Amino acid sequence: MENTKMLPNEGLFDRVYGLFEILKKLPPQLSEDELEGLLKVLPPDSANSMQALLKPSIQQASLTFLSMLTTALEETRNAKKNGKKVILVPFNFPPEIVHAFDNLAPITTEVLTTLGVVALEGQGERYWEYAMGLGLPDHLCSANTIDLGSTLTGIDFDPDAIISGCVGSCDVNSKTHEFVSALLGLPQIPLEKPTDDTARGFEFFKKNYYKMISQLEKLAGEELKEENLRVVAEKANRCTELYYDIWEMKKQVPCPVPGIFSLFVCASRFSMWGRDEAIRTLEDCLQVAIRNYESEEYRDRGEVARVVWIYLSYYFDFVNFYDWMENKRISNMGDALQLAFPEPLDLSTRESILDGMIKSAWNNVMTRQMGAYSMSAQWVEDIIHVIKEFDVNGAIYCGHHSCKQTWSIFSIARSEVLKRTGVPTLGLQGDSWMKNMTPIGVIQEEIEQFVNNVVIKKRGRRRRKKS
Amino acid sequence: MDELNELVSVIENTYVRKAREEGQKIVGYACLSTPREIFDAAGIFPYRIKALSNTETEMADAHLSRFNCGFCRSCLQLGLDGTYDFLDGLVETNGCDHLRGMFENWQYVTPRSFFHYLRVPHLTDEDSMEWFRGELEMLVEALEKHFDVIINEENLQASIKTQDQITEKLRHIYESRWEKEIKVPGSEIMALTVAEGSMPPADYSRLLDEYLEVIRKRKPLKTRARIFMGGAATDEVELITALEELGGIMVADSFCFGGRLFRRKSSADDTLLRLVEMYLNNLLCPRMFMDYESRKSFIKDMIQKSGAEGAVLFHNKFCDLHGIENVQIRLDLEKEGMPVLLLEKEYGAEADIGRLKTRVQAFLERLKR
Repeated sequence: MENTKMLPNEGLFDRVYGLFEILKKLPPQLSEDELEGLLKVLPPDSANSMQALLKPSIQQASLTFLSMLTTALEETRNAKKNGKKVILVPFNFPPEIVHAFDNLAPITTEVLTTLGVVALEGQGERYWEYAMGLGLPDHLCSANTIDLGSTLTGIDFDPDAIISGCVGSCDVNSKTHEFVSALLGLPQIPLEKPTDDTARGFEFFKKNYYKMISQLEKLAGEELKEENLRVVAEKANRCTELYYDIWEMKKQVPCPVPGIFSLFVCASRFSMWGRDEAIRTLEDCLQVAIRNYESEEYRDRGEVARVVWIYLSYYFDFVNFYDWMENKRISNMGDALQLAFPEPLDLSTRESILDGMIKSAWNNVMTRQMGAYSMSAQWVEDIIHVIKEFDVNGAIYCGHHSCKQTWSIFSIARSEVLKRTGVPTLGLQGDSWMKNMTPIGVIQEEIEQFVNNVVIKKRGRRRRKKS
Repeated sequence: MDELNELVSVIENTYVRKAREEGQKIVGYACLSTPREIFDAAGIFPYRIKALSNTETEMADAHLSRFNCGFCRSCLQLGLDGTYDFLDGLVETNGCDHLRGMFENWQYVTPRSFFHYLRVPHLTDEDSMEWFRGELEMLVEALEKHFDVIINEENLQASIKTQDQITEKLRHIYESRWEKEIKVPGSEIMALTVAEGSMPPADYSRLLDEYLEVIRKRKPLKTRARIFMGGAATDEVELITALEELGGIMVADSFCFGGRLFRRKSSADDTLLRLVEMYLNNLLCPRMFMDYESRKSFIKDMIQKSGAEGAVLFHNKFCDLHGIENVQIRLDLEKEGMPVLLLEKEYGAEADIGRLKTRVQAFLERLKR
């Protein structure tokens, strides 16, 4: 443990916050020379991410996206000073309900981990190692463990409570959050979704959701106000509209929505849904997509394949993942983190808004698929929906080693998807947040072989058959 | 003892064969949260799915992955290779992510005409208890409908009574190790608890009576140290035997094929509510949330009463529930001065036993024994 001891301000949150303080000072538009200069002063891991994020073609959306995350970090950082309490939430918990409280600020574990991986030199592995030093097993989820490892050091920001939103849909996520809650003595608010897709299951979930609201009210020292709820709900509805506008744009050939935007959309969903910052991010993503769609140059580049990631993808090397796929003209149609299927909230009454929010939580990513009566059946349905919507011709499972639920039914998903759509699925193995598990070069090679030898050939055969 | 040996080494044992010959229905279940009384009341033989250290998993590995726990892969293998063909039905529970995957694959590859999903909540608040009661009602209904049987108050009460008697006998045998002189090794206790799910309750009750007679005549064992063991879902009697050969006797445990089996208690008058309290409230499984304190108290109580000098906590590779919980338990026990050894293992792997023995040997030396 001595080797992993950290000094004050060396926690993941503090370091990420420090970097975002600098990014905040960037001008609204960065010239190529300025970008080149910036990349030279950044450490290599951070420079890699910024190179992908700030390239001219997507810079407008990226800067808005970074600004959204800066706001989330600032609100967490200044929560105590502003008399607010910080609620740590997992990615599958829709945060808009927390935004509706005056005295609460949500921050998402997996978003923090991703920021650590993207922004910090060493990509947050030191926090993973700290957790391992406690004796935790190495088959945990890096998406939780990197940030929570930092929280466990006791030198980083400390949340006031944890919402455990994965009870019933992911053991490792819910259990890791429970561990942190027990070790740091933080209140834990469990939100269980029963594995029952009927009205009975929904009623049980609704009761659990209302119990969670009561607990949040106690923590916040305030009642959930209808006017706040309404403001958040109206903005959440705008986010939903934009989400489906971007979704529609993805149907175009070649896909005009850059692959990295799936990350922007998900991060918005997971952290600032129901807030102006998320609206601005989604609006800028849409604008860039429309611009691409209207650009002759973009259309002329064509695409060799349309690939969807059926669960997670890789988030540790933007240049060699998103940009590389783009350069290979493989359209990245996003990953399963987009499978949240938000619906417009009925703004008639407090109850109708809450009913809609409960439904959003029920249908949110992972909760919906892995918390279903049958994990494989719901997951397969959703994958097939995306394949049909986006006319996908290749599916990839990234094989994040911690996803025991999806790993346990991957063979069913692969064979059902092939049987019902004819689309082949590549199964990879690699940690989504840690580069050491499978080098990105190996991942690139496997994707390329799959696209060239399976997807393209299969498509050729289908075309020949049709003609 | 021969009978016990057969029960922990053969899946399709004498009782299974006898039940088949007599036309009795047999339903498989895997999780401790499944009330055996309900099946027994219907005249159905409840068989707890286990793998008995089976290490061949090539068929299962084509469906589950190497990132899933070895115990579930081994059980699935036996489901796919025909070993469990004697089962007339399966009851799935959402015990953990691996277990759910195991059942989904089993049912996907070799569908059973009776397949019921008992959805066990992860909390024990009032709503969750009510939910589970509803689940038990649905289980009763499904069994009645499919097998054309009647499960009424009378036969359910009779089954509960039999199970209560079993619990008392088992408790008596189990706690005999807490005396100064130990006559029963922990591996034999595990064999007994594994056998519980391999035979009809009435036969098991008789086996316990016979076993009580056998151990009465036993001489005390040579004991180097008294050890508490806990953690993973495991039915590996050979593993415990191999570790006890080093002299550290397992005097108490928190395995779900072990000490957790007979901690069920309830004073409710309503029959189904009684089962709810017995099976959900006392599950003591790390899958449950907001219940860590109960599990910790249970373990501390077992350690104190058994006079254990050290604790060995296992988890099967890729089992997140036990892998995380064990660290938490270790930190809490160590705070109170109890030496703890954490061991990650592959299910049923003989090749792993040498490594585990070395670690346990070193642990015994650490205990200055």
